[in-house]
Amino acid sequence: MSLLEALLVGLAEARRHLGQTLLSLLGLILGTSSIVTVLALFGGQSKVTQDYIAEVGGFGTVIVRDREQSQRPTARELASDRLTYRDARYLKERATTLSAVAPGYFSEFEYRAGGIHFRGPVIGTTPDYAAINDITPLVGRYLSDLDVWRKARVAVLGWKYADSLFGTPDAALGRRVDIGGRSFTVVGVLEREYFSFAVWAGNELEYRNERAYIPVTTAFNQFTGNDDRLSFLTLKAASPTGARVAQQQVTALLRFRHGVEDFDITPSGGGGNSDADFFLLFNFIFLVVGVVSLVAGGVVIANILLASVVERVREFGTRMALGATGFQIFAQVLAQVVVVAVIGGALGLTLGWALTGTVAYFMKMPAAVTPMIATLAIVTSLTVGFVAGLYPAFRAARLSPVEALRYA
Amino acid sequence: MPLIEALGLTKVYQLGRVEVRALRGVDVVVERGEYVAVTGPSGSGKSTLMHILGCLDSPTSGAYELDGKSVAGLRGRALAHVRNRKVGFVFQTFNLMPRMTVEENVALPLQYRGGHSRQARLRRARTLLERFGLGDRIGHRPDELSGGERQRVAVARALIGDPAILMVDEPTGNLDSEAGAEILRAFREVHAAGNTIVMVTHDAAVAAEADRGIHIADGQVAA
Repeated sequence: MSLLEALLVGLAEARRHLGQTLLSLLGLILGTSSIVTVLALFGGQSKVTQDYIAEVGGFGTVIVRDREQSQRPTARELASDRLTYRDARYLKERATTLSAVAPGYFSEFEYRAGGIHFRGPVIGTTPDYAAINDITPLVGRYLSDLDVWRKARVAVLGWKYADSLFGTPDAALGRRVDIGGRSFTVVGVLEREYFSFAVWAGNELEYRNERAYIPVTTAFNQFTGNDDRLSFLTLKAASPTGARVAQQQVTALLRFRHGVEDFDITPSGGGGNSDADFFLLFNFIFLVVGVVSLVAGGVVIANILLASVVERVREFGTRMALGATGFQIFAQVLAQVVVVAVIGGALGLTLGWALTGTVAYFMKMPAAVTPMIATLAIVTSLTVGFVAGLYPAFRAARLSPVEALRYA
Repeated sequence: MPLIEALGLTKVYQLGRVEVRALRGVDVVVERGEYVAVTGPSGSGKSTLMHILGCLDSPTSGAYELDGKSVAGLRGRALAHVRNRKVGFVFQTFNLMPRMTVEENVALPLQYRGGHSRQARLRRARTLLERFGLGDRIGHRPDELSGGERQRVAVARALIGDPAILMVDEPTGNLDSEAGAEILRAFREVHAAGNTIVMVTHDAAVAAEADRGIHIADGQVAA
């Protein structure tokens, strides 16, 4: 009996036992479709997460911050100037693995324009910051090297602040805004930044619309009495994959300057975002549900097949009397389940595809059933069917012909 | 050389703690072209003898040559091949596959033998069915046939592989007298065509159809 013939027999058997076939199919279809749906949504979601990381600086962006001083600082620790603007300029000059170095001075000040006033964050930095964080002005311009050199009292407003203080971004351009008691000229307003993991989730980047950027040198000149200590340093590796090497070089250079490792270097983006974590968990739960229903489908198939083997003991006895070998009986039962598994996998894939489309449409989530997912679904369904069929097939094949014929 | 030559067949099996000696040294010789009836009361061991002669089971001890080949020591797959090529079975309860058509049922032994296309198998099945007057029934299911028709389908199935011997178990047991007479007529014709038949029955009238009888009692051949 050839393989093709075994499969044809399997198909015929599946058709002859339509009731059991339909029940087995149901289990396989439910299991396969939920796995397909989950994997498709999961794939879409991880693409969203990647987009998010790219949005907040991308792969290859690292942030340097002061490490908290120890309880009993050593002399070397006390001698260090900590993270300074001088460090930033030194790295810009020496660190060959970096494409951009943006110093960051961070503080909160009172904003005032016309009758409106509120407290909010201010970031003192250089033009490199815009390059690293993918910031584009909606009107006007971003900070320039000249602004930094001249310690100019100019500010670039986030979209929300321009809106709050002056009504519209256009109206803000060229106007004066009072920040921390000093007067600044608005030279630019940034585009509104928006990123959401799903329609119902909020704007992950809203904080970026609620701030102003001033030259880092101006910040020191106006607010710190020329103390050039930084809150953070944002660095961009020359290549997205070079972040590791860049991190090593920066560590070496800064340790040389500080005489001690009193700073922490962390990659930007990834990790720490609770919404992204939530979606991962959400997907994981559905994946578990899919696997469980597929296994349940497999158990259903195994049970149905076992029952049908018991029901057909005399039939197997007769087949053996007509010359069927144990292997041929085994192949017959297994071929039947394989045919069912293939059909179940294909139908489950179709249903999963439809389900994915529906969920993606109504929840505005990106999702796609890739060839990889389709293959995985069929293979999984086949495996489950095969494993479920093995034991009943084995039982049928091991029957003794005499006892099988005697079986009432 | 006889078709069946079995010497000193014994069969012992374990039924729970009890050791059942179903056959206690049986000698059977059947020549080619013979029509033999094996008779005996139930529990005499005649069914066990038929199972061993039909290669469904192997003897505990003894020698058995079927068509010039020793089969006493064969098991599993090898025994299945012998059954497929040398033996045709007809059962009391017909044992047709209920969800297959009549012609598919008849062709089944050839499917297990391999080497025939589906078309060739079904063509041969149809030829045999016409010979048994069932030419208009080939597409029917067994449950659409009368008992006599079903038994003739079973005979056709037993013959499709050109077996050396036809093993028949109580062929009239589930038939009314008219259908029973009809099937016995069919066996006479099959015998007349040169086939060897071994028939197990406890019905003396049926046994009288055969050329000779072998009577089994208490696991031994009675005189």
